[in-house]
Amino acid sequence: MIWIAIRMLTGDAQKFYGLVFGIAFSTLLITQQLTIFVNLIERGASGVYNVSNADVWVMDPVSRTTDVAYAMPSTALDKVRSVEGVEWAVPHIRAQAAVRTSTGDLEGVAVIGVDDATLIGLPKRMLEGAPDVLDQPDSVIIDDVGTTRMFPDESPIGKRLELNDQRAVIRGVADAIPSFTSTVVLYTKYSQALRYVPGTRNRLSFVLVGAEHGVSADELAKRITDQTGLRARTRDEFAQDGVDFIIQNTGIPFNFGITVMLGFIVGIAIVGLTFSLFIRDNIKQFGALKAIGVTNAKIRRMVASQAALVGLVGYGLGIVGTVLFIWGFAGNPTFKGFYVPWQIPLVSLVAVFLILALTGWLALRNVLKTEPASVFR
Amino acid sequence: MALEWKNLSFSRQILPVIALVGLIAAVIFIFTGLPDRALTEPDREPPRAPDAMAETARVAGSGVVEPSSEVIQIGSALSGLVTGLFVEPGQRVGEGEALFTVDDRAARAALREAQASITEARASIAEARNAQAIAARQLALYRNVDDPAAVSRAEVIRAEGETSSASERLKLAQARLQAAEARANSARTEIGRLTVRAPIAGEILAVNIRKGEYVSTMGGGGSQPFIEMGQTQPLHVRIDIDEEQAPRVALGEPATVSPRGAAERQVKATFVRAEPLVVPKRSLTNSAAERVDVRVLQVIYALPKADGLFRVGQQVDAYIPANSAAGGEAE
Repeated sequence: MIWIAIRMLTGDAQKFYGLVFGIAFSTLLITQQLTIFVNLIERGASGVYNVSNADVWVMDPVSRTTDVAYAMPSTALDKVRSVEGVEWAVPHIRAQAAVRTSTGDLEGVAVIGVDDATLIGLPKRMLEGAPDVLDQPDSVIIDDVGTTRMFPDESPIGKRLELNDQRAVIRGVADAIPSFTSTVVLYTKYSQALRYVPGTRNRLSFVLVGAEHGVSADELAKRITDQTGLRARTRDEFAQDGVDFIIQNTGIPFNFGITVMLGFIVGIAIVGLTFSLFIRDNIKQFGALKAIGVTNAKIRRMVASQAALVGLVGYGLGIVGTVLFIWGFAGNPTFKGFYVPWQIPLVSLVAVFLILALTGWLALRNVLKTEPASVFR
Repeated sequence: MALEWKNLSFSRQILPVIALVGLIAAVIFIFTGLPDRALTEPDREPPRAPDAMAETARVAGSGVVEPSSEVIQIGSALSGLVTGLFVEPGQRVGEGEALFTVDDRAARAALREAQASITEARASIAEARNAQAIAARQLALYRNVDDPAAVSRAEVIRAEGETSSASERLKLAQARLQAAEARANSARTEIGRLTVRAPIAGEILAVNIRKGEYVSTMGGGGSQPFIEMGQTQPLHVRIDIDEEQAPRVALGEPATVSPRGAAERQVKATFVRAEPLVVPKRSLTNSAAERVDVRVLQVIYALPKADGLFRVGQQVDAYIPANSAAGGEAE
């Protein structure tokens, strides 16, 4: 009986492909747009996620994100180290600077100074060179997106830059997720960064903290805030702060929200219309089935199986389309580090289910009301 | 539902299979593509609180290693060219040992001059004594003559005068000798001052002068001290503690100290004293335009012997136990 329903569905190729296209299109629209949206706003947290060692970030009470930070006096480091449960704490500086390239161009860069002795604060992976290169004098490590912006089609290794009248030699390329603004990032040692960034009185932007075993990051952050008066955020909280900052200060959520709603509406419109038309065309067949004694429950199951097939094929193609899109653009610096959060396909699955349930229910109303006699009319 | 090749339908069979395979591939892609955000342990050892202090109240500070005598910047009492340099960096010297000499030719010339004057004064004394003796004998001769007509009164007066003037000449010559001896002594002192000696026993840390360079009493070029020395057995470490944390420090307790870059090598340092003066934090960014509003309490600890682990001027990280009372408040 179900097989009859499927044959009935695929018998009319136009309508079948229309339905599949409708579902696939809205799945693609919802999934792909949500994916880009999530990845885009997570760029606000990339600075936090690039540092893989720190459990807690400590900053001035007015600092908001990795890029919007107010510097602290250098004794803040010792204050943090004095807190129980802090296994280690290292200084971290993030600042904006202008760099003069060998060709004389001026480029805005973010200078990130990592702890001199331990190099905590560097990204986890390197594309070229090892983190040790920072031990050489005047060394900096550039991030891979910065490489494509400052040195297209050539290797940046060994290139000389001028920062605040000081020499800087690029000796490594880090594999890092770019920031929201895709600024070129130069990693160097803390003491070196102080020379590269024009001087202000206080320089220490953050203190990165590792928690003792058995002390949770939440508890430690609370303790540090209580004892030092500084603002301490766990890694996840601080990443969320970065995301929230972008949500509050840009129109991105609104724009993407509109697109996702459009995907949903287009899905409902196309699928709903086609499904209703399809059911209406086949109303005689349903009548005949009823005449030979098929119950309403069975007809419901038949329509449900038709919807399930359309949903499966459409949803599958839509997801495959999204994955192909992300995979195809993985090499593009704009989409560097983009991934499909596993929650998003579930969201679009729910959306597909809602679309099909809504349209199927609307279409079924007519069928259920149909009397077996209608087949003779 | 017969799956025969002839009956194979694209829309009924192939398409759902494609969709299913695609879905499975997509799931694999999604789960392998999730970003790696796992926390990792740092590759290099960061300074950690010692195990004993991990769960108790503590105060952290950073500081600089210094000699237990603090660094002595040797100055010169007199200016001039350096003619001799007897020490090199790293050398251990005893108290009073010569470090360097400044050109002493002028002082030595003055000494020789004074010595010549001494000889001259001594000759004058001899000559005056001689004259005095002759005059005294002549006077005695005249006095022993009983016949008043034999010697005129005038002769006696002249002889008396000669005696007294001879003794005056002797006094003058003796005074000249004293003056010349004083000059010689002052020249010797001058020569002594031109040799700069170690004020204490200790180690030479830096030598910033070379033979032939000019040293002035105002200090060297670029306000560099000529020679820096200090007692490096034992070494001390001067820990800066933020004034806000200062009341929490348990003064008298030993501190755990590790040098920058070798955080795993921690040593116990014994308490020496806390400086009575709270001073502005000395930042080590070398910026000339530096202004500070952070003040620090400086606490001095003595480092144990650790072959070459600590050197004068090196930065260290330190953990000091906090007062139990203050620790109680913090919790």
